[in-house]
Amino acid sequence: MSAAPAPPHAALGHGHHEGPVSWPTDAFMGKASALKLGMWIFLLSDAFSFAGLLLTYGILRAASSVWHQPGEPAFGINFTAGLTFLLICSSLTMVMAVAACRAGKRGKTMAFLALTILGGALFLCGQFHEYFGIGTHGLIAEGLHLGGSHRATTFFVITSFHGFHVFSGVVIMSVMFVKTARGRYDHGNVDAIEATGLFWHFVDLVWILVFTFVYLIPEPGVLP
Amino acid sequence: MKAESHVTSTRSYLWVFALLTVLTIAEVGVVKVTSMGRALLISALVLLALAKAGLVLMSFMHLNHETRSLKLTVILPFVLPALYAFVLIAEASWRLLP
Repeated sequence: MSAAPAPPHAALGHGHHEGPVSWPTDAFMGKASALKLGMWIFLLSDAFSFAGLLLTYGILRAASSVWHQPGEPAFGINFTAGLTFLLICSSLTMVMAVAACRAGKRGKTMAFLALTILGGALFLCGQFHEYFGIGTHGLIAEGLHLGGSHRATTFFVITSFHGFHVFSGVVIMSVMFVKTARGRYDHGNVDAIEATGLFWHFVDLVWILVFTFVYLIPEPGVLP
Repeated sequence: MKAESHVTSTRSYLWVFALLTVLTIAEVGVVKVTSMGRALLISALVLLALAKAGLVLMSFMHLNHETRSLKLTVILPFVLPALYAFVLIAEASWRLLP
């Protein structure tokens, strides 16, 4: 049985090229690759999911005369400000990983990716601590229950949906770390690392908005 | 030439990182310290959050390097949800007024 001739584009199969791929310049999208445009489309749809959740949250909160029910704990603003700072740090290391990959430096790319993964993992630990408490009482033990009130339910749905994104980001970046180690993204072949970066920065961007709307906006007449 | 642009982009990332940190401190600051009215406080918090989101979008996500069409593709779809949010939240709080 003779092997069928490889299609002419086989040499351009995903990831199996040397160096940056030069895409033809598009009149509207410039040099943006199909992978990057696909990631932007995904992020737009994902952003609408978050927009729907935050819009629901805003309407429910604006329509209730008592938002913070008696017996429910307050959210820890200082702690979550720390988590916000952690995500901002991991966004910086991610953008440095993209820059290192573009410059063709594999070791540096891997180091910055590892730091970004560490930031994401620490954020997840922080969220676990916030919910369940590590060595102390978490929000659940203090009386915040899913279904207990609009405040509790929107809090858990929004923050866990975001936490799931952080988890996905950590998994994706770990896969990219292994692929980078295998030399898949050498010689400035930055496209996939850049798309991963777009996802991670989006997770950071959403958290910036969640931090403001869910944690920072105080109760009327009650300043923390 | 290439190395030079690499250095300037690293510097701009560090500036954006510093700005994001300062804006986060400012957010916690206005909530904890100020005695401004609630409407003003919420407006300030929303503006600070949008400034941070814009910085991430333009610098870290490189949207400032993309074409005008791609920028509009990303940003324009959020005009309507923002409008819905404004109208629906205003309507919901209006009903609570005595």
